[in-house]
Amino acid sequence: MSDAAVITDIPLVRTFPVRPFRHTGAVLLVGPLVLFMVVFYALPVLAMLARSVTEPSLSLANFTRLAHDSVFLHVFGTTLRTAVAVTVGTLLLGYPVALAMSRMRPNAAKLVLVIVLLPFWTSILVRSYAWMVLLGRHGLINEALLAAGVLDTPLRLLNTPIAVHVAMIHIMLPYMILPLSSVLRQIDAALPRAAASLGATQWGVFRQVVLPLSMPGVVAGTLLVFVLSLGFYITPALVGGPRDLMLSQLIAQQVDLLNWSYAACLSATLLAATLLLLALCQMVPGVRGAFRLGVR
Amino acid sequence: MTKRNDFLSRRHLLALGAAGAMTPFAAYRALAQGVPLPEIPPIPETLKGTGELRIAGYGGTGQDAERTAYFQPFEKMSGIKVRDFAGADLNKVKAMVDTGNVEWDVVQLSQGSVKNLMKHGDYFEKIDYELVDTANIDAVYRSEYAIDMLVWSEVMAYRTDAFKGAVPVGWADFWDVKKFPGDRSLDGAGPGNPELEFAVMAAGVAPDKVYPIDIDKAFASYDKIKASVVKWWETGAVPVQMLTDKEVVLTSVWNGRMAALQAAGVPAAISWDQGLLKRDAWAVPKNSPNKANAMKFIAFSTMAVPQARVSSLIPYGSVNSKSAAFVAPKQLALLPSSPDIKSRLVPYDYSWWSEHRDEVVARWNKWILA
Amino acid sequence: MDGTQAALPSAAQLPGRGAKISLVDLEKRFEGVGAVRGISLEIGSGEFLTLLGPSGSGKTTTLMMIAGFETPTDGDIAIDGHSVIGLPPHKRNIGMVFQNYALFPHLTVAENIGFPLKQRGVDRATRTRMVADSLAMVRLPGYEARYPRQLSGGQQQRVALARAIVFQPRLLLMDEPLGALDKQLRESLQLEMRRLHADLGITFVYVTHDQEEALTMSDRIAVVNEGRIAQLGRPEELYDRPSSRFVASFIGESNFLSGVVRGMEEGLVVADCSGTTVHALAAEPLLIGTEVTLTTRPERMRFADTAFPLTGRQNRVRATVTEAMFAGERCRYLLRGEDGAAIVLKEPSGAGTRRRAVGEATEIAWSVADTVVV
Repeated sequence: MSDAAVITDIPLVRTFPVRPFRHTGAVLLVGPLVLFMVVFYALPVLAMLARSVTEPSLSLANFTRLAHDSVFLHVFGTTLRTAVAVTVGTLLLGYPVALAMSRMRPNAAKLVLVIVLLPFWTSILVRSYAWMVLLGRHGLINEALLAAGVLDTPLRLLNTPIAVHVAMIHIMLPYMILPLSSVLRQIDAALPRAAASLGATQWGVFRQVVLPLSMPGVVAGTLLVFVLSLGFYITPALVGGPRDLMLSQLIAQQVDLLNWSYAACLSATLLAATLLLLALCQMVPGVRGAFRLGVR
Repeated sequence: MTKRNDFLSRRHLLALGAAGAMTPFAAYRALAQGVPLPEIPPIPETLKGTGELRIAGYGGTGQDAERTAYFQPFEKMSGIKVRDFAGADLNKVKAMVDTGNVEWDVVQLSQGSVKNLMKHGDYFEKIDYELVDTANIDAVYRSEYAIDMLVWSEVMAYRTDAFKGAVPVGWADFWDVKKFPGDRSLDGAGPGNPELEFAVMAAGVAPDKVYPIDIDKAFASYDKIKASVVKWWETGAVPVQMLTDKEVVLTSVWNGRMAALQAAGVPAAISWDQGLLKRDAWAVPKNSPNKANAMKFIAFSTMAVPQARVSSLIPYGSVNSKSAAFVAPKQLALLPSSPDIKSRLVPYDYSWWSEHRDEVVARWNKWILA
Repeated sequence: MDGTQAALPSAAQLPGRGAKISLVDLEKRFEGVGAVRGISLEIGSGEFLTLLGPSGSGKTTTLMMIAGFETPTDGDIAIDGHSVIGLPPHKRNIGMVFQNYALFPHLTVAENIGFPLKQRGVDRATRTRMVADSLAMVRLPGYEARYPRQLSGGQQQRVALARAIVFQPRLLLMDEPLGALDKQLRESLQLEMRRLHADLGITFVYVTHDQEEALTMSDRIAVVNEGRIAQLGRPEELYDRPSSRFVASFIGESNFLSGVVRGMEEGLVVADCSGTTVHALAAEPLLIGTEVTLTTRPERMRFADTAFPLTGRQNRVRATVTEAMFAGERCRYLLRGEDGAAIVLKEPSGAGTRRRAVGEATEIAWSVADTVVV
């Protein structure tokens, strides 16, 4: 066919001729932000990280100490476990909401979006205290379960890992729902229909078409929630149990002890773990697309 | 080291009062309205000057009280312009002195944290005691690089509706889960310190023999109560909230929070015996450009009447023994510095903590996670 | 095979390779507004039927109801005699081609085409063979490993076609499948689809707003307007004997003359159009005095003095040329009749025709057999 012959000439990857103007323009546009980030963010962070190897003397002693530090290992484990639990929780709760939003009429979707974003407008502290009130043994949840006859004695919810997970999932949900619904909304509505017409059941349509096409959103949301969860501080301190110490809390404690090099060392480890995770995600096929959203 | 307020203000916890989640704080604010304040008598020429002074406090209601009590009068009476900032922080002082960019002339800290930082280098100016009313300020309140300016207390508080009228007195009672059943909370080692003093007193150490603390004994004592402590808190708002919600029946608290709680109608009370007498202190960062003005202000703010003015506004005590005469009797009864309360408290030993803090926190971390 | 999966059709059990469809009083209202207002239609096995109409006419809604994506508010849809109301789309076993191809962007061409086979539990080896066969059928052999984004629009639509027929459905629905393509490509694909239709022998229901496309491809056309079928018939019938002014103007170009019935003569209507007597075909006898609109196609009209005169009975009117446009294969004239009516006339270009000048007074003629009362 004639068009087949013509089309093979079209390059699969569009390349643009490099013109000097494009570069100058780009540098002028991005330059101020880059400069700002370097001076006010990158340099201070580097200076802080440098302490981890320069104090008290130039060595990796701080890091070798970490490897044998049972407190660090425990706290690092708690931090990772909490971040994983919160990420999985937000994904499981957030995906159906995002999916429903993508299928709603625009006005209804806007309303849901506002409800999803509502927690954003309240301070993280107020939300954490609200969970203290809700999860307490004389709090709303226990009182309701007692009144309903489900329980005889109140459950211990507050000051447990459950409380940390619940409160953090609540706080993190918007970070999962927003990228997910943005990606889901971009999926051509004809695709699920096409799949159904081709014999796919509702579950088949979801698993074979909607889910794979929403992976960029899943990855973006997962990374966002996971990385933010690694650095959580206030919520675990307020609603967590005695053993729910997160890395950020340990860092704050060490800063207060004027133990800056050790704190820097902990921060470097947290940063390294985060970067490692991002790098690993880049290697998963199909995930690179998550970082190209909106470019296509 | 004593982080009664700074942790709070640094994390903007005080915003909670405005948000309504902390009713006690709303009541607390109401307490400070419309109180008649004693007039400050004329000051000597040595306390007057020119130029300006930059003061960093812990922010919030406490700093509002300080402003009314002595920032504003000082400016009027000395001719020195005062600017005050929230967010006083030991690490910031270190960074300022390290970089030679000292933005605060007077900082609200504690004797302990000042001692800690002095171990890392020459970070503070010596207090000029020539100007200070030393005759009426206890020696325990004075140290080379810091002078106490606000007295408060870390005490036991309990639900009055929990024990059928029985009143817990002293930490042995707090540790006695048979006589006083129910969940408890205590200070943890976040930005602050765990209160080993309570643990050793519970184990039978006399209040005047607490220091030097037997660390092994303290942790052995902690072992006995660990199962009943549902929360090792890191910020003063938490025990108050949990007491309000009946989540715990016994807890350690900052005394200032309790007045507000009681004013809000929560059936809770302070048991003063064997509480810790703690203090905030003024310190002057090294190479402060307004060092002379700073010393004048420090002398002024620790005088009897300025101290009494703060105590009239918030339930925090005075370091000046002549202040009591200027505080209304009803308010005086709430102050940890009032004579019949002070005698039941154990003065916190900032020096001991300065020496042992790293060791205790490291051990604490292992103990709490075990 | 899972019971919820659609089964491969056992063609042997049914007469013909294509499905028979009947739509009975089909209605669809969206929030009270009728999109489809009573469509009844029998589509024969192996027929190529086109739903033709302007946008918003209800043609796509009708198609979506057949596919199962919309539930009728009223009426029935039966495929091979069995009502499919309530049957979900994935159990209807209908092939469907969408306007924007709806290829799965994350799957290769082979995976796209293999998709319906996978749903039906066809094993991998068979799938590979069937995919290759259907790619050959749409003349894209060897494209298995490509991704949709690596194909042109025309190629994508052929893959979509292959995907819609690979599982051997008895019915293929197409929703403006060529709408996004340029004219040349569209024409070549039209031929392709005719060929496919002939090869497969299955029933095609095709939705378009392009009357030329409908005329070229269809066995029958249902002209849909405002949720109803305005006229149903073979392309020639619709073109030559439009039953309404809407159909006459929607399909091709038409001239309309207003007149009053003067009588019937040998089965023809005799009408008076502003003093000129015009004869026209009528589906039924009309009463004298009835006001009628007569229509005829511009290319069926001639200048009365042309070198290629009409035979048989003619109508004639006098008119003045107001515009003349040369358009390659033909010349297009705009004329004004004596009563002021605008008339369009198309004359094939050639050595034997004389170009008329603007302002020239002339007489035009056309066959009575090409004149219809609408």
